[in-house]
Amino acid sequence: MISYVLRRLVQAVPLLLGISIIVFLLLQMTPGGPLVSGEGATQMSPEQVAKLREQYGLDQPLPVQYLHWIGGLLTGDWGTSYNTGDSVLSMIGERVPVTLLITGLALVVALLVSLPVGVFSAYKRNSVFDYAATGAAFAGLATPSFWFGLMLLYVFAFQLRWLPSSGLTDLRQEHQGVGAIGDLALHLILPVAVLSLISVAHLTRYVRSSMIEVLDQDYVRTARGSGLPERTVVLHHALKNAAAPVVTIAVLSIPELFLGAVITESIFSLSGMGRLFVDSANLRDYPVLLGILMIAAVLVVLANLLADVLYAWLNPRISYD
Amino acid sequence: MSRRFVILAALVALLAGCATPATTTGRIALVALIQEPGLLSPFFNDQSGSDITSAFVVEPVFLARPDGNYLPYLAADIPTLANGGVSADGRRVTIHLRHGITWSDGAPFTAQDLAFTVRVFQNPKSATQTEPEYELVDRVNVVDPYTAEVLMKEPNPAFLSLFQQVLPKHKFSSTAVTAGDPQARLPLGTGPFVYVSWNTGDRITLKRNPHYWRDPSLPKLDGITIKVTPDKQSTMSAFINGEADAVYFFTGNDLQDVQAGADQGLPLTVVTDRGHVGSVEWLWFNLADHGDDTRPHPVLADPVVREAIDRGIDRNAIINGVLGGFGTASGAFVYTGWAGAKVPPTPYDPARANRLLDADGWKRGPDGIRVKNGVRARMKFQTISGDQTRVLYQQLVQFDLRKIGIELKIQNVPSNIMLGGYQDGGLLATGNYDIMMSRAGADSPDPGAWTQVFTTASIPTRKSPDGFTYSHWSNPHYDRLYTAAASEVDRGKRLRLFQQMGTIFTGTRVALPLYGTVRGWAWNSHLRGVRTDFWDGMWTTASSAYWHFG
Repeated sequence: MISYVLRRLVQAVPLLLGISIIVFLLLQMTPGGPLVSGEGATQMSPEQVAKLREQYGLDQPLPVQYLHWIGGLLTGDWGTSYNTGDSVLSMIGERVPVTLLITGLALVVALLVSLPVGVFSAYKRNSVFDYAATGAAFAGLATPSFWFGLMLLYVFAFQLRWLPSSGLTDLRQEHQGVGAIGDLALHLILPVAVLSLISVAHLTRYVRSSMIEVLDQDYVRTARGSGLPERTVVLHHALKNAAAPVVTIAVLSIPELFLGAVITESIFSLSGMGRLFVDSANLRDYPVLLGILMIAAVLVVLANLLADVLYAWLNPRISYD
Repeated sequence: MSRRFVILAALVALLAGCATPATTTGRIALVALIQEPGLLSPFFNDQSGSDITSAFVVEPVFLARPDGNYLPYLAADIPTLANGGVSADGRRVTIHLRHGITWSDGAPFTAQDLAFTVRVFQNPKSATQTEPEYELVDRVNVVDPYTAEVLMKEPNPAFLSLFQQVLPKHKFSSTAVTAGDPQARLPLGTGPFVYVSWNTGDRITLKRNPHYWRDPSLPKLDGITIKVTPDKQSTMSAFINGEADAVYFFTGNDLQDVQAGADQGLPLTVVTDRGHVGSVEWLWFNLADHGDDTRPHPVLADPVVREAIDRGIDRNAIINGVLGGFGTASGAFVYTGWAGAKVPPTPYDPARANRLLDADGWKRGPDGIRVKNGVRARMKFQTISGDQTRVLYQQLVQFDLRKIGIELKIQNVPSNIMLGGYQDGGLLATGNYDIMMSRAGADSPDPGAWTQVFTTASIPTRKSPDGFTYSHWSNPHYDRLYTAAASEVDRGKRLRLFQQMGTIFTGTRVALPLYGTVRGWAWNSHLRGVRTDFWDGMWTTASSAYWHFG
């Protein structure tokens, strides 16, 4: 297993190098650049534009720009943002906690909802509950998150006024201690609900189909025949086995946790990774974009490896030499 | 079970307690900021969001009024030819500063700061993104702490645009100022408020300036909290529902919804300045053939087609039907600022448009689209994606022109693809468009920079890629008028030059003004003391110093 992991890691290096070249070139091919004045703004003088282009290094040939960037990446210098002048690493670092908080909670909520619903749907297959849960899952998969987010916002924040509409804290109050935690919890309800919607729908269907397959296995029938309580049969024997693919799916979603939820973070004014990515893309802030994309690539590679390892660990019949 | 119930009950009580309606603590106004800039110092950032600094922190030497004329603000008077502030040849401008002004950290504000500001601009290592008028400054002589002599390379009639922001010399170690400088991020100013902190993507905190030079009792507020809310739609809804005291900033197109809220009795105050035109929404014609400035555009180069388009658009339907009356009919080239002219747009007359096209040889094909010499009157029509109101009147224009036999295909793009530079493949700069639509022309009270955009020298080419143009239009007479206006210091003569430029521009129909946005502002009615009779409306320290809650 150790040798397998090492081999996968070694193979990842040329893969990531190739990804870096492709990503770099794709960004350069996109029209528009970082020196754009906004709509209605007075255009900067050509002298100023030329000066900034030189300062950003955009006057260098592309191969020189690429080598400068990749060299910096490998030595810990990820460059500075055109937009803010900050180092790319510090910008990403300050956004990660917000995104992890929200997407992590969304994943937890998704698991807490999808596991019991999926298990019960499988156990009571073809019942009213099963049809309702499956229908709701399909509806959830089909619902666009931006529409759902705006609907929740209008109903609960603007009409009923039960929940705050944006941000993570009430800037008009100075909550302290337990009050601050409560304030934060209130602000998290809507974005976490929106984010967990698709995950719940996806995971519910996956848990259900996985459980159905397991419940039909001979060993489940054997366990039942042994006189074990039904609860033990379902939760201990069946779910344990059905959990393997679910864990795999959950692990594969780790890169998504890092990249954040672009639309939800914009609608609810959350300063996470997703918004940083979109803002940087709109501004053609190449250093930040490249930094985020390379982290995403690394996370995808690692998540795939971790998923494979976990799958083998959970399922003794699978092994890598 | 009882323990779980107790925990659950406690949690419910906790959440219920936190959900009580929020009340303001102290006297701090909450401003929503839609487009967060990368830096908050306008001297180093070209994004519109950084101008919020001019609302609270940074103050100009000369403050613009709605009509484009200036008041002395940090200055003691306005330099003119008559009072000797401007030399006869226009190359020396003497600025007298008020006495007793301090930076918010208590340091004195002096002419040294003006000289330093210019040297920062001139340092090739500085990342400045500010008014192009600085290009004409040769150097600044400090005569005494309150007198600065600004020497120009050439006469600079737009000198009043200079020093909209002055850099505090004592906060910098050199004139090579990069975007990473703390002062580029959170600038120090002379204004009523001081930046305290900035949690990127979340909030910006300002507190009262304890050393405000104007009046020790000002500002009336204890501070400002700026909340970053990037989604415009939800921001406007939150503002209308009272979750913010003001929004920086929305355009006249957004006033319709706010006014509706006010009409329903919500505590919203809406103020409009109908006497002046805000930003004009233009239809940009590409007069060259898709990037080849040596060849005319196959359809739009025909002045009859441009006139027909002008007469074929129902502007009133846009202003009243789409904008709910929050728009102004405006047909002038220079339509705002001190040289702004009030010119009505071309009247809507589709019958005449049809006659013009018929007489010019544009015959309708079987599908109703006109053809002349084998060229179909079919073009791409683009604007910036994402604005739902704008898409509505874009479709109205498309519909109107279809009726006179001109087919437009809508294909909207992000703003940086439209406005990007020549080397970055920007559609306007490279000439890769037919008709574009965007707002422009109201960024400065002086029309010098606006009129320069249409000069031949401004058209970007492979040899000079850093220029910019909306029209790929070249007119030697216009160029000569611009050159004369750029160095004419007599305002009356200069005004006549701009008027002549306008006559050429409008007569040629280089671009078509659709409508002018209404200059308007809105705030929660609990916020009092808001003055709007400035070029930047409520977004100036001359107003925010007086804001308070009633």
